[in-house]
Amino acid sequence: MTSRVWKKHAMLLVFVLPALVFYAAFTLAPAFGGMWYSLTDWNGLNPSYGFVGLSNYAEAMGDRYFLKSLWFTVKFVLFMLVLQNLLAILLAVLVESLGRGKVWFRTIFFMPNMLSLIIGGFMWMFIFTRVFPYLAEKTGWMLLDQSWIGDPRYSFFAILALSLWGGVGYLMVIYIAALQGVPKPLKEAAAIDGAGAFHIFRHVTLPMIYPALTIGVFLTLNNSFKVFDSVYALTGGGPGRTTQVIAINIYEEAFSFSNRYGYASAKAMILFGIVLIITIIQLAIMKRREVRA
Amino acid sequence: MSMDKIPNSDSGKKMNRLNGSLAMKPPGSEGSGLIGRRIGIAAVWLFLLIAALFTLFPIYMALLNSVKTQGDMLTNILAWPAVPELGNYADAFQKTRYLRSLGNTFVVVAVGLTGIVWFSSMAGYKLSRTPGKLSGFLFGLFIMSTLIPFHSIMITLVTISKELRLQGSTAGLGLLYIGLGVAMAIFLYHGFVKSVPKELDEAALIDGCGEFRLFFTVILPLLMPITATIAILNTLWMWNDFLLPLLVLTDYKSYTLLLSTNMLFGEYNNDWSAILASLVLAMLPVIILYLALQKYILHGIAEGAIKA
Repeated sequence: MTSRVWKKHAMLLVFVLPALVFYAAFTLAPAFGGMWYSLTDWNGLNPSYGFVGLSNYAEAMGDRYFLKSLWFTVKFVLFMLVLQNLLAILLAVLVESLGRGKVWFRTIFFMPNMLSLIIGGFMWMFIFTRVFPYLAEKTGWMLLDQSWIGDPRYSFFAILALSLWGGVGYLMVIYIAALQGVPKPLKEAAAIDGAGAFHIFRHVTLPMIYPALTIGVFLTLNNSFKVFDSVYALTGGGPGRTTQVIAINIYEEAFSFSNRYGYASAKAMILFGIVLIITIIQLAIMKRREVRA
Repeated sequence: MSMDKIPNSDSGKKMNRLNGSLAMKPPGSEGSGLIGRRIGIAAVWLFLLIAALFTLFPIYMALLNSVKTQGDMLTNILAWPAVPELGNYADAFQKTRYLRSLGNTFVVVAVGLTGIVWFSSMAGYKLSRTPGKLSGFLFGLFIMSTLIPFHSIMITLVTISKELRLQGSTAGLGLLYIGLGVAMAIFLYHGFVKSVPKELDEAALIDGCGEFRLFFTVILPLLMPITATIAILNTLWMWNDFLLPLLVLTDYKSYTLLLSTNMLFGEYNNDWSAILASLVLAMLPVIILYLALQKYILHGIAEGAIKA
């Protein structure tokens, strides 16, 4: 009997081992390594380094550029959270309401998601720096003629536009899948009871797609805090460091400005902490509402 | 344009109720008759067409201007050129070492995907089938990392890849992706295996079939639906990932399509003709794949997101 249990566990390990080896080497080890290095003054090149306690964290909390990048990211996340989910639900509902043409629109709206935001970013760069000025000149519509890339006030919106362009389709697909799960008789019953279209959406459809909303908000929070590609492609964090997001700040600290691996690791751990806390809070709140709804 | 699209069945009425709200009409105004209904549908079509134009505009502009000379671009950025300038493509093809970069990207994705599917299907299956503390602990270990942002581990990951001499190698990058991708895939396999009847395992084992043969000949084929989802999600991720290749592939000979395009963008700062041609070339494989497998991809995306 015990030998059978032993055999069972041995077999389990044999099946899990290949995955575990790669996972341990390239996910667990870097995660724990990062935690350790964040407590040291390692510079990535020098083989020797010393333990410095929490001083990297203290320094990060007083690092003007890091705090600015944090604020820039938070602003970005808030805009994305509202706009991306709102647009995705709107598109999902409209596309689903169509008879013919449904597949076409769905295909088109999802297409940007297939492309890297680096490619998308370069295409939008062309739009912002060449097409918009041209249009502004021809139409006299001066709103378009801004320094979309060079002026941080406008490049925030440029980055936002690119990210929405690249991200809305993904959430739309999720919301469409949720909408298709809403039973038709439910809506019909509400309509017979005299509920208007808005009321049906508010009180029948919306509660039914609430689980999808949890996913949508979760994905948006998770991805927006980690935004890198769209900023890298459009502004590279510039001009200066005015449009830096957290991920760019960490990247530059570690790989281009100073090679301060220890200090950059501390910032990376702060990013992890933020994502973790926000995700836990979000899931707790939305799961509770889900049950009630 | 939308008038001939109106279905006259009762599904049209349902549509109208939905559309009514979205055209921001006050609730209760659906009864106002056929004209209101048509306006509602027309408004939906108009909105969606504008949104579709907005979505396709950058791609269209890139395509359009990639066959123009710089001069053509300056005179009219919106017009088709009198004579298409295909030299831009020859230029971009050469400057991005297109075939080589494409091949490199293929190697990365092939190595990564093979490892992810192979190893996580085995692990996910066995973890799902074996009850007990050890199994629970191992599963928890894999799930633990799913919230860790890539940027929080990238610094040490780069150091490790240097130590293991994986840097600068496309196959090495593929190996890194295995380590980064298995957790999510195991989670998806773990859930899916529950729908495969256990009796199958028992019957096969009684027939004297070994554990490995059982898995590879009986179970793995049954996991095909979730394997397809996992393959789609991971291919998209690895194909479009930029930061990890940027950190690991230090030699331009090993550059992926994205890295080559990025390099060309940096070098040709203002020569948009060549840049746009290179962007179109970089998009081409993905767009072709997307249009061919559109149905499966959209299904896989929804599936993956909802289960995760």
